[in-house]
This record gives sequence, C-alpha cells and structure tokens, in this order.
Amino acid sequence: MRYIKLPSENFGKFFKSLEAWGSVYAPVKRGGIYSFQEVHDPAEIALDYNRTMLPPKKFFFRPKEAILRLKNGHWEENLEAEPTVLFGLHSCDIHGLKILDRVYLDEPADPYYKSRREKTLIIGISCMPDEYCFCKSLGTHFAMDGFDLFLHELPDGWLVRIGSVRGHEIVWENGELFEEVTDEDLANFKEFEEKRAKAFQKEVPQEGLADMLDLAYNSPVWKKYAEICLACGNCNLVCPTCRCYEVCDRWMDAYSSVRERRYDSCFMENHGLVAGNYNFRPTRLDRFRHRYYCKSYFDPSSGYNCVGCGRCDEFCPAKIEHVKVLEEVRGSLK
Amino acid sequence: MSENPYQTYDARILEVKDLTSREKLFTLRFLDPEVEAKFDFRPGQFVIVDIRGFGEFPISICSSPTRRGYLQLCIRKVGRMTKFVHKMKEGDVVGIRGPYGNGFPMEKMEGSNLILVAGGLGMAPLRSVLWYAIDTGKYENVWLLYGTKAYEDILFRDEIIHLLKHGEAMNCSVKLAYEVESPSCIYLEQGFSDRVCRGVVTDLFRGEEFDVNRAYALICGPPVMYKFVIKELLDRKLSPGRIYMTLERRMRCGVGKCGHCVVGTSVSMKYICQDGPVFTYWDALSTRGLI
Repeated sequence: MRYIKLPSENFGKFFKSLEAWGSVYAPVKRGGIYSFQEVHDPAEIALDYNRTMLPPKKFFFRPKEAILRLKNGHWEENLEAEPTVLFGLHSCDIHGLKILDRVYLDEPADPYYKSRREKTLIIGISCMPDEYCFCKSLGTHFAMDGFDLFLHELPDGWLVRIGSVRGHEIVWENGELFEEVTDEDLANFKEFEEKRAKAFQKEVPQEGLADMLDLAYNSPVWKKYAEICLACGNCNLVCPTCRCYEVCDRWMDAYSSVRERRYDSCFMENHGLVAGNYNFRPTRLDRFRHRYYCKSYFDPSSGYNCVGCGRCDEFCPAKIEHVKVLEEVRGSLK
Repeated sequence: MSENPYQTYDARILEVKDLTSREKLFTLRFLDPEVEAKFDFRPGQFVIVDIRGFGEFPISICSSPTRRGYLQLCIRKVGRMTKFVHKMKEGDVVGIRGPYGNGFPMEKMEGSNLILVAGGLGMAPLRSVLWYAIDTGKYENVWLLYGTKAYEDILFRDEIIHLLKHGEAMNCSVKLAYEVESPSCIYLEQGFSDRVCRGVVTDLFRGEEFDVNRAYALICGPPVMYKFVIKELLDRKLSPGRIYMTLERRMRCGVGKCGHCVVGTSVSMKYICQDGPVFTYWDALSTRGLI
C-alpha cells in the first residue's frame, strides 16, 4: 500500500480532477436522507454522512433494468456502462461490494454487473459510527482492498491509501495536489482510528455464531419476530449484500419486448413459489428466518453475508433490530 | 456464441407428443449447428426455456445424452407459461439456455446397480438416466420403481410397458405402483403380477433385496416422497452417500445469481441450480430445508 496526504486546501481541486475519469457520484443530503447523487461542486457532498438509504449496489445491480431487448425475434444485449466515480464509500459498503462481486463476478459472470464494475472508480472515506453501526464486530469496519483510493480524515486534510493501479494513476496525474505523509499525520491517523474503534455501540458476538443460529432453528424467537415483521422487504432493498432479483418480459409494442429484472425480496410470498403453486417457504416465519440465515451465512473466503451497515435497522418500519434478533435467538439456546 | 449467460439459443420444435392430458413431450433441435454441436449434458441437468416476450422457466432434460441431435423436454401444463408452450406446434421456435446444474454422477456409478425411484413427474429426469444406462450398458442392473396416480398419468407409457415386457434383455427391471384403480391398471397387474401393484412407490420396495454395496439409488418425485423413499433405502442399509436425489426449486436464472433457489442456514447454504439439483443424502443431512 502507498500512503500519501491530500491537504484540505487541495480537496476541491482533487475532487474536480475526478471528473476526467467519469461522472462523479457522492453522498448528498436530501430531505433528511443521504443518497449517492451526481455531484459537480464539492460543497454539495455530505462528507460526514452516516449511511445512504440505498447502498452503492444500485450502481452495479440496478433496482430495475432491461437486460435484453427483443428485436426481430432475437434478444439484443443492453450492455451500456458509463465511466463512473463513486466518491465517499464507507468501509462497510466496500465490503458489501466485495460480497456482491463474489456472486456476480463468479463464473459465469453477470455481464451487466461486470462491465459497470470495471468502469467504476471506488473512492472510500473514513467515518464515525452511529447507534446503528455494528461493522466492527464483523470485521468490515476497515477496508484493506476493494477500492482505488481511500481517504482518512486528518485535522488538516486526508491521509490517502492507494489501493489499485488506477488509484496510483490518479495520484500520479495530480501529483502537485499531494504531499508526503509526516509523523504527525500518522499520529493523527492512529488517534482517529482509536477514537473510532471506541465509538461503536453495537456488536454481534461472532464466536460460534453461525452454528448457534443453525442449532436454534426451532427457537420461538424467530416466531416472535416474524409476527412483528411487516414483510415489507425494506431490509432487502437497502441491504448492501442482498442481491435477489426477479425477471419478467414486458411488451413495448407488437414487435418488441424487453426482459427486465428488478430487485426481489425473500420476504415476498412468491420468492419460493414453484409451478403448481407449491411454495418452499410458505409462511412468514420461514421467510423471516431465511433472511437471517442468509445474512449470517459464513463463507470461509469472504465471511458473513452481512457487513453491519445498520441500514436494515434504520429503515425497518417495525423497528426490528438485526443484532438484537441474533442475540435473542442465540440466547434462546438453553 | 455469446458470453452473456442470459442469452438463449433458438431451438426448433421437431415434434410435440401428448404423454397425458397434462404433459407433452417436446423434441427440440438447435438451429445453429455450432450450438447444436457444442450442446452436451449429463442426465439430471436442466435447461431454461425462453418464450420470448413471455418469460423463462426451468425444465429438466428427459432425453439421454447418448441420443444426440435432439433434446426432449416433458412439460406439464401447470401455469401461464406452460399453458402457452402447450399451444406451440411443430416448427415453432423457442429459446434454450443451459444445460445447468450438476446432474447425476453417471461415470462414478459405472459397474453398479441403479435403483431409480420416480414419483409422478419425477419420471422425466430419471428417463434420461434410464436410457443412458440402457444405451451405454455400463451398469449391472437397473431397477425402475415408478409410482403414479393413475394409468392415464403414466409418463412415457409406451416405453414403460415395453420395458415391463422386454426390460430383462436390457438388464432393466420396471416396477409400477398406481393409486387409482382402472380397467387398464387391472389388465397390467394381471399381466405383470410381480411388478405392478396398487399402492404408492414405497410399496414397490416390498420383497426387493438390493446388494447395497453395489447399488446407487436415484430419486425424483414430489417433495413429500423423499422422506419415505429414503427411509426404505436406509432400512436396507444403503449408504447415504449412495442415495442421490434431484430437487426442484424456483430456478430463475440457473447460474447462481438470482437467489430464488437458495436453501440452508448460516452454516450451509446451497444454490439448487449450481450446487444441485442432484444431492446426496449426506447433503440433506447437513443442509436444512433441502428436503
């Protein structure tokens, strides 16, 4: 890793320089909610945002998109991908993208996701946790890869970690904006990280978590929460690692049709429905439990399917708390 | 050929045959010779059928890879899409992508006895195994235990009756159980009293002694069937690793992305479309929700 410093006074110039790489999207506050929007003026960016409602997955795996267009009886691909810069991703969201990569770039790669991923520059930014964050306990509070540049806040600028060749290129081409890192910067970086580590209020105890949950398959806690749950699917939509999709064909006119895919939610009744009306997850309890098992699935190569971003808690209309459910289920094992 | 895994390839319907009042057998062939030449599969794999402008659905392949040049799909009229397909005629074109899934480990089972246990529509994927085993002759004996609702519901009835009559010459022994009595069934039962009976598929196990060290069981049927069939096999001391079953889920994409066919819990999650649809009983023991 190469470390370099971006002084505060050069931030604006650095940000403007990113436009040479593609359209720049950054967190913006609108109506009390943060979201990634196209930004031209650095003053618009909410640098101290807690979390956006939709995670950055929306840039690669779209809420709704036409994947194929039927013309003259044949499907034509719709592989458009614009060069994009995603500025200001938090570490948890970078980890979320890595989990999506595991699914969508795995053979056979999803060409839509892949082409957008290849044309997108990822610039991370450090953050302070709020009451919903539990990324530290899942090990996703610090990104060691998965970005081109990562900016860590210093009192007088940013400590920049360069994570890719493209990251090097940006710094190389804008060399006059950067300085070498001093001992004082390192001390500030260390202090920030220590302060941050202490600020987390929530944690998931990881020890034996996956097995404990599996053993608690028949726990009454699942039922208790399934009854509170509205099955609205909000948690799926805002989750940086949820990636289920549904496909349907839609006629445009008598001669052309599009094959569209859109986000799907495992809380919807038809998620496990097969031909003949047989449903493999017929009850809300089945579906509620399935989501928790999916999020807590432990993959030896990439960890859990949850990055602790806290979106599912913040945007749950029934105020169900992810960590609390896991703790209670685990605790229900006598 | 396209690198887009969602792209489908034109296949012409060569023949449509009524199997029952609900099921039709579609014989297809790819239009593009290059695609046709490259298309190979294992028994137990499935394809996604694309009715352009209407949607896609997964369906298991019921022909055998030993019989090249065509692909057969047994499609039950059960929903919007399959109703549409049932109206299609010879010469019509559909899209096909695949084959998907792991299929049965045919090579590993060579030299062994095969016990095929089919319930209802479960006969479709097992027909692929049946003809593969008969055509290659690489398996000692093949038993087919097939349970259906009624005589009219027997899939591939001509082939089944042919095997009842002449199966022995092909080292293939067919047994049939039906639930609803009819004159045709009674006629069959009189003709093959040792192999046709009224009851369910597990009744066909009565009196059968399998050499459990040299046999593999391959099961396909409605979800309720697995538990009972597996019990019969385990009672006969067949190892869980020798019990293969092929499962159904909502396989939307076929390539492990869309998430509809995911089963399991925090310690073991499986995509039926990629990790399956064929699993052993060991898999079922370690993955909740598999059966």
